[in-house]
Amino acid sequence: MTSFVIRARRTAVCKRAVARWPERCCTGALVSIALVLGQGIASAQPSAGRGAPDPLRPMVVVGAEAKGLFTGAGVPEGNQPILAARDGHVPPGVTPLPVDVFVSKDFYKDRALWSDPRYFRCNAPTGLESQWGAYEGTIVGDDPPRTGAWGYCDRDYPRDQIVSPYAFKTAKAHYEALLAEATAKGGPTIYTQATLPRWDGAYQRERDKRSSWFNGAILQIPTYLSLLTPEYQTRFVQQMYHYAADNSPQWPGSYCWPEGFLRRFAQYGSSRWRVVMTPELVLMLGQAAENVMTQIHIGRKFNEEGVVPRLGPDVPQWYGETVGFWDGEALITWTSNIQGWINHGGMEFSNKMQSVEIYTPRKDGAGKVTGLRHEAILYDEEALVDPVRIVHYWSKTAELNEGDPYVWMECIPQSYPIDGFTTPMTPGSTFEYTLPDMYGRPWAEIWERYREQGMEHPKPKSLFGL
Amino acid sequence: MTRRSKLLPALAVSALAIAAGQNAQAHHSFAMYDLNETYVFTGVVVRVDPNPNHLQLFFAPLNANHDQVLKDDKGEPIVWSVEMMGAAQEAKDGISVNGFPRGTIFSVGLHPLRNGKRAGGRRESGLFKCPANTPPPPGKHCDSVPGSTAHGPGVLPEPTRPAPLGEP
Repeated sequence: MTSFVIRARRTAVCKRAVARWPERCCTGALVSIALVLGQGIASAQPSAGRGAPDPLRPMVVVGAEAKGLFTGAGVPEGNQPILAARDGHVPPGVTPLPVDVFVSKDFYKDRALWSDPRYFRCNAPTGLESQWGAYEGTIVGDDPPRTGAWGYCDRDYPRDQIVSPYAFKTAKAHYEALLAEATAKGGPTIYTQATLPRWDGAYQRERDKRSSWFNGAILQIPTYLSLLTPEYQTRFVQQMYHYAADNSPQWPGSYCWPEGFLRRFAQYGSSRWRVVMTPELVLMLGQAAENVMTQIHIGRKFNEEGVVPRLGPDVPQWYGETVGFWDGEALITWTSNIQGWINHGGMEFSNKMQSVEIYTPRKDGAGKVTGLRHEAILYDEEALVDPVRIVHYWSKTAELNEGDPYVWMECIPQSYPIDGFTTPMTPGSTFEYTLPDMYGRPWAEIWERYREQGMEHPKPKSLFGL
Repeated sequence: MTRRSKLLPALAVSALAIAAGQNAQAHHSFAMYDLNETYVFTGVVVRVDPNPNHLQLFFAPLNANHDQVLKDDKGEPIVWSVEMMGAAQEAKDGISVNGFPRGTIFSVGLHPLRNGKRAGGRRESGLFKCPANTPPPPGKHCDSVPGSTAHGPGVLPEPTRPAPLGEP
C-alpha cells in the first residue's frame, strides 16, 4: 500500500535524501534509513519461531512531532518541533490533495485517498495525535484544523520490518512449534525456586519514539493501514480524523476505562514493570492509568474447545490469559482470551487477538541480569492482515524491595465526555452523561454522536434491523 | 404472551438457593427489584456485558407476531436488560459473549426495577436460547422451540402481568 508514495517525486526526493536515507533510494522502498542503534541483537540460537534479527531502527521520526524526540513531561527549553511545514504552508515539492483528514467533511467518503500519505499531511499516527497539544506542544496553527502541520512525506518505515518474520499464521502453531523445539532438546526446562532465573525486579522499558513502530512515530499512516483489515482501517482513520479535525481524543485512560491488552506495549502507558518470579507463575505488573497485569502460568495448557483458547470460563479478559514454558533461559508465552479494545494512537483489536511472547535476559559481563528482551508477535485474524512483531528492551532499575513500593493505580474518574469532549468536572456539578457501551466501542459512540453529524457511517446489517 | 409452565416448588427452592449462593459477592442491593412482579420476555440480544460482578444481557423484545422487535415512536428498538450473576458463573451455563452473540433469540423471566426503567434481575428464572434465526411462534417462548437450549437451572416463570414498554 505504501508504494504509491508520491512516485512522481521519488527521483527528486531521493537525490535530496540519499545523503540522509540512502537505503530508501537504493531499495526503492522510499523508507528512511534504518540504522540499528546497538542493542538490536537476537539470540544466536537457530529457531523457527524466535530470535530473528531485531526490526531496523530509524534515526528519524516521520513527524510532525511538537516536542521533537523529547519524551518527558512538559516542553523542554529550546524545544524544536520536527515537522515539514506548518501554519497553512505545504512542504516544498509536495502537492497537497484537494481534501485531507484535517478538512474533510466526511472522511468515510475519502476512502480512496487513505492510501496516500498526503491525505494525512504525511503525519505519523502520533503526528496527528499531537497536533492540538495532546503531548503538551501545539502545532496545529492559528486557524485549526486548516493550518495543521505536515510531517515528512519522504520518510516511512518498511512494512516488512513490522510483520512477523516467522512463518506461522496462528499463535497456536507458533507456540506449539517453540514448545516442540524445547521438547526436542529435552525440555521444556523445569525450574525450582532455587534454580529459577533471577529476573525479579523493577524494569523500565525504553521509551524512545524510534524504538518501535508500535510507538506510532516512524511510519506513515497508510503503512499502518496496510496492516489492517478494511473494517479496522476504517476504525483507525476514524480515530485519526478526530485527532486532526476536531480535537476530540477519547483516550480510555482519561475516563478510567480499562487500558486493554495492547497498552502493555504502549510507549507512555505502561513502560514501568515489576516482575515477580515463581516456578509456577510469573507475574508482571505495570502501571498506566490503571494497573496492567500479565500472569504467566508455567506449564499449563489452554482449553481449546471454545471460540478462542482460554484457561478460565468463556469470559474475555482485559489482559487475556497466558500460559508459558521455559526453554533454558527463554520464557515463552501464549496469551489468548483477550477483550478487544483500542490502544490510542494505534490500532483497535478484536477478541481474536492472541500473542506469542518471548522474554530473554540481558546480562552484563559478570552474568548479572541487567534487563530483558521482549519479543512479541501479535495475531488477530479479525483486525490484522498479517501477524506483526514488536521488540522491546527493558532495563532493570531496582530490586523488588528497593525504592518506593508499587502504587496500585485505582483510577478515580474526574473527566467525562461533555458534548463529545473530554472535560474535567468539579465535584458537586450536575451534568448530562450518556452511559457508554463499555463492551462495544465507547470512544466511537462519542464521535459518532457528537462529531459525525451528516457523515455516512457504514453500518452493518443484522437480524431485525438491530 | 402465553402463560408458561408452572414452577415446580422444589426446583424453585433449589434454584433460589443456588442463585443466592452464587450472588454472595453481589456488589449491590437487590432491593431495587420488585420481587413481587415477574415479566417474561422473548427478545433479541443487542449486547452482552460480561461484567465480573453481574453479567448483563441487553435485548430488544419481540413484538406479538415475533417478526420484528418492539420500537419506540422514533423507530428505535426498545432495549431492556436483565442482570444475572457474575460473568464467570454465567459462562459455566453457556451465557457469554461467544455463546450469545448479537442477534441471538432467547427467553427469560425477570423481576423489574421498582422505578419502571427497562431492566430487571433474573434471579430464579430459567433462560432458553432459540436455535439461530428461529423465533418461537407467536404466543410461545424459546423453551417451546425444537432445538432450543436451556442455560442454567429453572423454567420460565409465570408472568404476573404482561411486560409494559417501560421507561428508557
